[in-house]
Amino acid sequence: MLTVGSLSRAELEARLSGTGLVLRTGPFANRIRSDVQPLIDGVALMYADYPVDPEGGFVDFHLDFLRSGGLRRWVRSQVHFAYDGTTPFQPLPLGQAYPMLEWTMNWCVSHRAHGYLIIHAAVLEKHGRAIILPAPPGSGKSTLTAALLGHGWRLLSDEMTLVHLDDAVLVPLPRPVSLKNASIDIIRAFRPDAVLSRPVEETTKGTIAHLKAPRDSIARAVEPARPACIVFPRWEAGAAITLDPLPKARAFMQVADNSFNYQVLGARGFAALGRLIDASNAYTFRYSDLHEAMALFERLALGTA
Amino acid sequence: MWRVTPGQALACREWDGEAVLYNDLSGNTHLLEGAALDLLHALHVQPADAATLAVRLADHFDAGDDDLVSLIDDMLHTLAGLDLIEPC
Repeated sequence: MLTVGSLSRAELEARLSGTGLVLRTGPFANRIRSDVQPLIDGVALMYADYPVDPEGGFVDFHLDFLRSGGLRRWVRSQVHFAYDGTTPFQPLPLGQAYPMLEWTMNWCVSHRAHGYLIIHAAVLEKHGRAIILPAPPGSGKSTLTAALLGHGWRLLSDEMTLVHLDDAVLVPLPRPVSLKNASIDIIRAFRPDAVLSRPVEETTKGTIAHLKAPRDSIARAVEPARPACIVFPRWEAGAAITLDPLPKARAFMQVADNSFNYQVLGARGFAALGRLIDASNAYTFRYSDLHEAMALFERLALGTA
Repeated sequence: MWRVTPGQALACREWDGEAVLYNDLSGNTHLLEGAALDLLHALHVQPADAATLAVRLADHFDAGDDDLVSLIDDMLHTLAGLDLIEPC
């Protein structure tokens, strides 16, 4: 199998600046074209273990990231994103090209992949039990996810949980984990082995760095997982660790609120979410200490929490 | 008299005395008490007024006879506000 890491830098650049690199992420094929060095650096580091699909196959998303032309090419150069020939976003400074790639890949899935119920949630699996972590920004979801990946958990997704509409099975979409601001140094300290992209400052979300997904999670991207728990995390400085059961009907409403396309799917989304709730115990979770959180999640993975 | 609004399939799921219901007309999902769901199911079988429903569903509610009709009447108006039921 051809991977990004098996291409030389010259081969990678030739594909990206030519007909495109067809990058396989979970169930999706992304054709990426770019002449922007920070983006190419990010792809080379973060996606080294990902499969490259052969030319001529079906492609889900066509993504172009190109440098400004004219004077802008030389002064405060920017990167422009085009999706299937349209430009849905404003250009960004060249240094933000790699985070822009991640944001736009998320956007493509959340706005186009309506064959799944898509929840704004991380999802990880251990001992055959998948745990879904729906949460708004600032809840500590990605920090918790990054920490768990150092404790034997498989990454299905940091940002988008894909739920199969017919049987509530969870479809992996393992991609780099987005860390913001203080989380970057917290994970550097907690997981010295972690591979992080170069932090990019002054984005709309503050300073951003991405954590490389574990190689084993990428290799198992075709292996779906069964849901076991839905945990709504909340990080709070100095808080004692708590895990409280959440009634299922209320969990249903909260997951629906954290979904990208629940409304789009209508009655099919209602039925799919009902099956997911049937299969899962739901909890609210408050924590301040990552070591304590790791121990509690181990019990959740074993079904003994 | 009240009836279920035509077009409402009353797709719902119930867990531990609480329910969620899909509103076919608005596309919204509602969190309901189990008792409200009981009212909807009763009206789905046959249109009725609050007094008739109070007799039919007395076992489902924890209230005296007089209070029960008033309680059910309030719930019916709430359900009507969601376009789940309508006067007939």
